[in-house]
Amino acid sequence: MAELFRRLRYLLSRGRFDRELRDDLEFHREMAAREGRNTLGNTLRLREEAREAWGWMWLDRCSQDLRYALRVLRRSPGFTAAAILMLAIGIGVNVAAFSCFNFLVLRPLPVRDPASLLRFHRHSPQAYAFALPYPELSFFREHSRTLPVILALNSARLPVEGEQQPLNAAFVSTNFFQDLGASPLLGRLLDPARDDAASAEPVLVLGYGFWQRHFGADPLVVGRLIRLNGKPVTIIGVAQREFSGLSINRSDFWAPVHQQPYFAPGSRLLTDFSVDSSGVQMFARLQPGLPRSAAEAELRLLAAELRKTHSADIWENETLVGEPAGYADSIRVGNRRGTGSEDRDDLYPVAALVGALCLLILTVACGNLGSLLLARGVAREREIAIRVSVGAGRGRLLRQLFTESLLLSVFGAAAGLALGYAVMRGLLALRDAPDWLDPAPDWRVALFALGTGILAALLFGLTPALQIARQRHRTTFLRQILVAAQVAASCVLLIVAGLLVRALQDATATNPGFEYHQVVSVDPGLAAHGYTPARARAWLDTMQARLRALPGVESVSLTDTAPLGNHVTSARVEVEGRRADILISRIDPEFFRTLKIPLLRGRNLTRGDTHAVVAGQSMAQRLWPGENPLGKEFDIDGGKSIVVGIAGSARLVRPEDPDMVEVYAPPAESDLPSMGLLVRTEAPPDDLARAAISLARSTDPTLFPAVQLLRNSFRRKLRTAESTALVVGILGLAAQLLACFGILGVVAYAVSQRVREIGIRLALGARPLQVMSVVLRQFFWPVAAGLTAGLGGAAALSKLLRKGLYGVSNLDPEAYLAAVVFFALTVLLAVLFPAKRALKIDPARTLRQN
Amino acid sequence: MPKAEMPPGALTMLVLRVLRSGPLHGYAIAQRIHSLSSDVLGVEEGSLYPALQKILLKGWVTAEWGISETNRKVRFYSLTPAGERQLETELSDYERVTAAIRSVLRTA
Repeated sequence: MAELFRRLRYLLSRGRFDRELRDDLEFHREMAAREGRNTLGNTLRLREEAREAWGWMWLDRCSQDLRYALRVLRRSPGFTAAAILMLAIGIGVNVAAFSCFNFLVLRPLPVRDPASLLRFHRHSPQAYAFALPYPELSFFREHSRTLPVILALNSARLPVEGEQQPLNAAFVSTNFFQDLGASPLLGRLLDPARDDAASAEPVLVLGYGFWQRHFGADPLVVGRLIRLNGKPVTIIGVAQREFSGLSINRSDFWAPVHQQPYFAPGSRLLTDFSVDSSGVQMFARLQPGLPRSAAEAELRLLAAELRKTHSADIWENETLVGEPAGYADSIRVGNRRGTGSEDRDDLYPVAALVGALCLLILTVACGNLGSLLLARGVAREREIAIRVSVGAGRGRLLRQLFTESLLLSVFGAAAGLALGYAVMRGLLALRDAPDWLDPAPDWRVALFALGTGILAALLFGLTPALQIARQRHRTTFLRQILVAAQVAASCVLLIVAGLLVRALQDATATNPGFEYHQVVSVDPGLAAHGYTPARARAWLDTMQARLRALPGVESVSLTDTAPLGNHVTSARVEVEGRRADILISRIDPEFFRTLKIPLLRGRNLTRGDTHAVVAGQSMAQRLWPGENPLGKEFDIDGGKSIVVGIAGSARLVRPEDPDMVEVYAPPAESDLPSMGLLVRTEAPPDDLARAAISLARSTDPTLFPAVQLLRNSFRRKLRTAESTALVVGILGLAAQLLACFGILGVVAYAVSQRVREIGIRLALGARPLQVMSVVLRQFFWPVAAGLTAGLGGAAALSKLLRKGLYGVSNLDPEAYLAAVVFFALTVLLAVLFPAKRALKIDPARTLRQN
Repeated sequence: MPKAEMPPGALTMLVLRVLRSGPLHGYAIAQRIHSLSSDVLGVEEGSLYPALQKILLKGWVTAEWGISETNRKVRFYSLTPAGERQLETELSDYERVTAAIRSVLRTA
């Protein structure tokens, strides 16, 4: 240990120790000279040998190498800039992709002790839901011994005075801020001691962004009154900008959950046990020292206990599954429910795809740089030869060359980090991300950038360094491999981009099976406002009549599944071993007319049908291929259904997913409070939307219906697919550009190496085409091999794409053909450019040289 | 008389032993070893100074500034307690090994 410290001391004051050593040696010389002995020998060398004992020589050599590398790079600024740019692109896209991953999965949310935070979902063999009915959560809070802290969060949209659009409200349990360790920016936050009482006055905490926009960051905002949904409420404070509120969406303000009925009159959020209630998200902290399974076991018992009194609403064998909630990934989904098994939109296939594509870009960039370095290596032959002749060993040369690569890649990593940051900023701004998401790279991202840089240095630097250090000039084979790798990688990127663009085209251009342009959906949220089936029936009838009376309205119908919405009721159906995931819509008979879905066979539903259903054609084909589906029976959740009609296939909820099939059933009486309206109009749908809102509010002023133009919902649905295609397209083009430059460079280099030969051939009367074919023949095989590998790789990747993303058909010939043709054209351009220059060579001039 | 090669590892021991009788500067260490060995063992500066650096690093000796007999400011090396202990172990090891070698040479 002491020795290590002494070593460190030597490192830190090396100058002094070196002077002392020199002094010692000088004195030794003097004394020896006095005694007439002449000790010959190189003092410098002696000193170096003595210094070796300190164990820091490698550091000296490294710094020598580094200084030399810096000089070399500074001497050829063009090469350095090109190399850093290429690396910046290659590393930058990886950094951006990793940053996204980091946001979602690696970086904990900015809350106190994120590791011990759990989120609970409801699960049973038949159904799942991400949110719990509030009274169920209250029951757990009263009786749980394993969860000392339980937080509730209910998100809603509420109209606010002075704002055009309703804003994002979060109704939370009063311990929410305290437990998450939040501190106020202004005023105070919710406090169980003051705000929990039933008599407490209505209060509101503003979100940072809302405070900035709506109040112009007014520091005197605390204590002011504001009207929410027409109800006055006191502002008690402003949350910090970093406060996430455990929501991936921007929260504009927070209010105590027990005051929710005050803002939404008639709301039964606090008392309604049914799954139709909007419910609350449940977060909890585990008693320290207990495993998660203990809490799950306890909650299962409590749920079973609760089921004794609420058998209709608490599911049989209901379990509450706790998942770590300290990361953005776990709060991505606010409220989703469905029957059957949960369809998880797993992040990993997407992440794997993006990761693979980004690595491909890096490969292309590295391949490029590798060939550049090789070409430079030949140009540096003289320098290397001199260094060898003055005694540089192969190891030392290798280290020197690799140091240059490493230095380049460190610069490249820094530039890539900056580029990745810029991309992230742009992305977050584009997506209207919440304020607490900070695009600045943290240590993980920085480390990742550095790691990628070193990996890149290994990829592009090691082999050329080996070749050059060995002073082997036969680098053709290596160059061919590099060309092949580049071709393969950029080919994969192009094809995948092509496939995605085609899939997107499919989704936008082809009819989703229903006509949505002139349709408006109205979701009044009757269940959330405590409507009984009878009241709901009355309200819906009145609304239907009033809407029909509006000018231009063609058709009005009811459905519980708004097309292109977030609510899905799905089930898995099995008939004679054939399976299908079906989407169940509860509708009234008018539905098909409103959405212009053709009825192909059989009859429509009529009021009073109970077991009759209309199946989509794709479902009929899936379950009863080649048979007459009319009159067939199947089970949904234990209930018998008889197919009475066949409607045209329509992709109601997920236009991009061709694997989902649909079935239409009449609503049961109990379904009525969760129904909404669909209205088709000839007039501009925007006008209709406004009219529908005022109509709905005039029939019951406590409601705040969500009105959507299906046109907009459709566009929003496709946005993910669109942005993915855009990103992959940009990546593909970037890779293509990089590959083109690389190939251009390699060919130009091959030409310049054979200038004399070309000159002689031309002088002897060879035809230009022949000459070019001789020069370019060496690139034929690598390009062909690269293309083949690229096609194979793309086929494999697109399989993953189909599973994880969209209905991409993985062998779309047009996409492949387009990519290959585009690729061949750009490569041809890249080759012709230097080739043309070569043919202009004046034979006489080249021969006179040397 | 030609100088004999120093057996490896012996130099450290000799330097430590020579310093036991008091602080010396580098040249004097070489001189002392040379003369005490009746001019048999010569210490080249090429091996002395690397060895000294190693010993310094191990903490067996320390260096301090002093004035040489030629009135020059030089560094004097002196043994530390740790060096003292090191010398003891090296000497005893050396004794044991040479005794063993000698007995082999005698009886074999």
